[in-house]
Amino acid sequence: MEPRIGVYVCHCGSNIAATVDVEKVAEYARTLPAVVVSRDYKFMCSDPGQDLIKKDIRELGVNRVVVASCSPLMHEPTFRRAVQEAGLNPYYFQMANVREHCSWVTESRKEATEKARALVSAAVRRVYFHQPLESKEVPVHPDTLVVGGGIAGIQAALEIANSGHKVCLVEREPSIGGHMMQLDKTFPTLDCSACILTPKMSMVGAHPSIELLTYSEIDTVSGYVGNFRVKIRKKARYVDVDRCNGCGTCITKCPVKVDSEFDEKLSKRKAIYVPFAQAVPNVTTIDREHCTYFLKGKCRACEKFCERNAINFEQEDELIEIQVGNVILTTGYRLFDPSAIKEYGYGRLDNVLTSLEFERMVNSAGPTSGHILLKNGKEPESIAIIHCVGSRDVKYHEYCSRVCCMYGMKFAHLLLEHVQGAKVYEFYIDIRSPGKGYEEFYNRVQREGAVFFRGRPGEVTDVALTPEEKGKLIVQFEDTLVGKQRRLPVDMVVLCSGIEPQSDSQEMAHKFNISIGKEKFFTEKHPKLDPVATMTDGVFIAGCCQGPRDIPDTVAQASAAAARVLALINKGKVEIEADTAVVDEDRCSGCRVCNLLCPYNAITYIEKDKVSRINEALCKGCGTCVAGCPSGAITHRHFTNEQIDAELQGILA
Amino acid sequence: MSDIPHTTFLDEVAALPACGKINECIQCGVCSGSCSTATHWEYPPRKVIAMVRAGMKDELLKSNSIWFCVSCYLCTARCPRDIKPANIVHGLESIAIKEGYKPPTTTTTMYRSFAQSIVDHGRVYEFGFMLKYFLRTNPFAALKMLPMAIQLFRHGRMPLAPKQVKGKEELTTIINKMGEGGDR
Ligand SMILES: Cc1cc2nc3c(=O)[nH]c(=O)nc-3n(C[C@H](O)[C@H](O)[C@H](O)COP(=O)(O)OP(=O)(O)OC[C@H]3O[C@@H](n4cnc5c(N)ncnc54)[C@H](O)[C@@H]3O)c2cc1C
Ligand code: SF4
Ligand code: SF4
Ligand code: SF4
Ligand code: SF4
Ligand code: SF4
Repeated sequence: MEPRIGVYVCHCGSNIAATVDVEKVAEYARTLPAVVVSRDYKFMCSDPGQDLIKKDIRELGVNRVVVASCSPLMHEPTFRRAVQEAGLNPYYFQMANVREHCSWVTESRKEATEKARALVSAAVRRVYFHQPLESKEVPVHPDTLVVGGGIAGIQAALEIANSGHKVCLVEREPSIGGHMMQLDKTFPTLDCSACILTPKMSMVGAHPSIELLTYSEIDTVSGYVGNFRVKIRKKARYVDVDRCNGCGTCITKCPVKVDSEFDEKLSKRKAIYVPFAQAVPNVTTIDREHCTYFLKGKCRACEKFCERNAINFEQEDELIEIQVGNVILTTGYRLFDPSAIKEYGYGRLDNVLTSLEFERMVNSAGPTSGHILLKNGKEPESIAIIHCVGSRDVKYHEYCSRVCCMYGMKFAHLLLEHVQGAKVYEFYIDIRSPGKGYEEFYNRVQREGAVFFRGRPGEVTDVALTPEEKGKLIVQFEDTLVGKQRRLPVDMVVLCSGIEPQSDSQEMAHKFNISIGKEKFFTEKHPKLDPVATMTDGVFIAGCCQGPRDIPDTVAQASAAAARVLALINKGKVEIEADTAVVDEDRCSGCRVCNLLCPYNAITYIEKDKVSRINEALCKGCGTCVAGCPSGAITHRHFTNEQIDAELQGILA
Repeated sequence: MSDIPHTTFLDEVAALPACGKINECIQCGVCSGSCSTATHWEYPPRKVIAMVRAGMKDELLKSNSIWFCVSCYLCTARCPRDIKPANIVHGLESIAIKEGYKPPTTTTTMYRSFAQSIVDHGRVYEFGFMLKYFLRTNPFAALKMLPMAIQLFRHGRMPLAPKQVKGKEELTTIINKMGEGGDR
């Protein structure tokens, strides 16, 4: 079939036409080999624009199409669809980007027009050599993996499971719940955090469609959208979860006391423990690192007293493999460790607390039964709350953590409520309260009597300069609205530490083949238009693993990710791009260089045929292997040597 | 106000060595909250930056602010935006001197005596430099320093005769080269 090329130059309103002489470019295209028609039009992506193409295909026998317009990222799918609707293979299409690459970045009309001509010439010569490619469909496995059992993971798992589809929820701690479980009240409505979370947690525990794997971690991941194979390591908890009923007898008998992670080390737990009373699942776990039996070879008191014979010291880590169609990552965040900021004295001065320590202290189920106490057991009379600790600071995290202004003000409210006559001071740079009811909450806390000083303190010290500073923590700051350096003696300082990515976020991103940003949060596919998808199809993200956010935003994102997964499950199949690489097995020497090069692990060596083969479903068409193969045995189906040569000649023509 | 004075003053200060980030200051007050001497300043370091940006050159350079900086660099170590306020403050001092503002303190005399000692000996000759400084400012104040001077002398920390560094000639060449760019 002799190529008959149609060229369509778009004005994009005035986006292109104001800088590029579109008529000239269309006229020039008419002179190029095999071009049978060339037009310019105001908006090629509009329905009438697409109809122009379709009509020419039907009436003029056009069988190759070039559109000179915007970036293929925007409209390549649109035009491929139009071409396909008119009966052509969608790969008989090429786009020349004369907007982002030309009109938007060139000032002179002459130069812009010249460049547009070159780009069109390249596209025309390239499309001449295009081959029809068939995209493939693969079935989507209906099960879903959710990693991380904080509120994001809980929400996503429930949404999917409630539609009747199976979910495997993997949590590395002994219980689900995440950070929200540690919080006392939640801003701005002051609902009790555990009261609104635990019903959801028990729904997860009891749901027939949810397989809950706690104390478990992701080992390896392979496969692609619709068909992932995931190995999960169920860590030995030395307790048979089917037998243990959480009675706690063993806990009372265990002689070893360890700092409680859940209470931020403000209380003790035992070596055999349940992290908190409402844990899901409500079973015990033996902390091998602290258990006397594992350390010294004797004790086994828990075993002796367990009436249900649930203790099993012989248990080992178990590797299980599951198959799922989609994955949602909800691994959450870690609190910034303020001991890095020496001048605030955390870890050095008594009564300087982190925000999570404060959450535990103010919680009635916490280590002090909800009493706010100094190290000496007395109630504080005055408390300073310092904002932006580790956030908005180029030395630590440049970003704003988004929740600490609000939780800082929540602390003020709780303090004024819990401690009679307390004086509470908020030290802030800017109050960030953009959310429903948030500014009103700020106003409420002011009304309740919290004192706001604008200025991030320079330091917190116990070195007194006056008698009244003796025995106090002194906050030295500039009251910037007055313009004076001042010193304020208080009894307690709470640091509003920022939210940072989990320490293993890079490793997790690598396992699931997704990217992470400069701050090491997972990167979304598009920051505005695709915030829960990732560059890897079938892998979605929600909650604080993508960036700092509050609970309402986390929940909304989790539901959005679940909706995306359900759409794929409902469709039942996904289309795999056809522009992949292929190995010419006659030329392949079996050197396996490509196996190591492929960033998507798409190439495997076939032992019996002594050649490498590419899995089309995994190949993203990046071209790395094509360039790397020493035998020149790999071709990219939509970037053949012929096509690239022709494109270069077109540019230079 | 029809003209926009701040643009020129801000540009002038931003062009000083290592002061280019002044426009990125978020006015958090960490510098002033940390500053060892800010309680003596008419306008604390954060406000100095705000005044530069507001173009309040005369008001700022006439004030006692900037002259009290003791180069402890706490502001610079702690600033969340890496503004380096200490550099800005010292830069303002040099602008003020060039433009003939009279410093309210003896800081400049101290700087000059210090610098002269390096020019003369290639190193700081404490005895000579302090002597010069007190003679130029307040000779009676030197009496108060006498006990400390004696202590230092006893421990061999303050020799009475100056020592020259090795390679004094090369150093002089370097200093002269620097001097071509402006006054010391
Ligand atoms: C002091 C403080 C107070 C706050 N107060 C409020 C408030 O009042 N209102 C509000 O709206 N927001 C508040 N927030 C914000 C709130 O905590 C978050 O929005 C919310 O907890 C985010 O939930 P998440 O599920 O994304 O993350 P997380 O709660 O961190 O959950 C992540 C879960 O994933 C698990 N996990 C992590 N890595 C892995 C892995 N590799 N494999 C398996 N599992 C893994 C973790 O163990 C954890 O259970 C506060 C935050 C702080 C720090
Ligand atoms: S064997 Fe270990 S977990 Fe059990 S009671 Fe003894 S120390 Fe505790
Ligand atoms: S939310 Fe408030 S306290 Fe937290 S980093 Fe942002 S401005 Fe600072
Ligand atoms: S083109 Fe890229 S993704 Fe495809 S097999 Fe080659 S290296 Fe892997
Ligand atoms: S510490 Fe830095 S950012 Fe903050 S006011 Fe001072 S110069 Fe500006
Ligand atoms: S270097 Fe100067 S301005 Fe900065 S904190 Fe020290 S005395 Fe203050």
